[in-house]
Amino acid sequence: MSGRALPNPGWGPLSALPGNPLMWVLILSELLVFTAFFALYAWQRAADTALFDVSQRELDPLMGGLNTLVLLTSGLCVALAVEATSAERIRRARQWLSASMGLGVGFCVIKVVEYADKLAAGLTPETNAFFGFYYGLTAFHFAHVLFGLGLLALVTWRTSLDNVETAAAFWHLVDLIWILLYPLVYLLR
Amino acid sequence: MTAHPGTRRLLATWATLMALTVISMVSARLDQGDWQALPLWSAGLVLAATGFKAQRLLMVYLNLRAATPAWRGAFVGLVVLTLALIGGGYLVARLAG
Repeated sequence: MSGRALPNPGWGPLSALPGNPLMWVLILSELLVFTAFFALYAWQRAADTALFDVSQRELDPLMGGLNTLVLLTSGLCVALAVEATSAERIRRARQWLSASMGLGVGFCVIKVVEYADKLAAGLTPETNAFFGFYYGLTAFHFAHVLFGLGLLALVTWRTSLDNVETAAAFWHLVDLIWILLYPLVYLLR
Repeated sequence: MTAHPGTRRLLATWATLMALTVISMVSARLDQGDWQALPLWSAGLVLAATGFKAQRLLMVYLNLRAATPAWRGAFVGLVVLTLALIGGGYLVARLAG
């Protein structure tokens, strides 16, 4: 970075980070929280492998994979909205933000269908430790998706580079957490 | 002002992320009707693809490439730690089971 202007002068160690420095504090803290949950899941799985294996068979990894593709495409739309805002193409930025929100809603619909399927089969958070983790981790992530959708709606209304960059950073955090959660809960068996 | 990645780089990254997701799903042998534990190489491939996806997302979507090497290292290090914990737990479960 030497020789280049810092993106956020006056923010101490955070001044070298692009976008809103406080959003990076949130990203780092959220990543640490999820890392702790993932570690707890891995530990519990090692303690009761047979139960986790049997329970994991009830999940649909294709639905999870589809949701990964949807969320990553939504992330692309948000990143393109930042590009458009930076070029002062506000109308185009709002179109990208709307596309991103549409895909985010699509993610939620797929997740709700998945929850409904599991609940109809009598699989609740109280069924066993695996389903406790499954509902806990995915619902915590789901709450982040809903909050992110609210942020995206807000910056679609109040479109400025700072606002869109900040909301985009949160949305990418939601992407990042799902990228780590998907193989842990759905794929590794 | 921070330099943004540019449309071409974003599209290339998106294509990479989609391809890696499909590779993860294929590695996890979702096409097989019967449920079986993954061979260790499959699990390793799933984790490697996940790590590369997280790195691409951090560097391009979150534009961490514009930050200092220390910040890049800190975030990539945290992702590697997370994957090591996931992989370690998985390995212990597999070897014990």
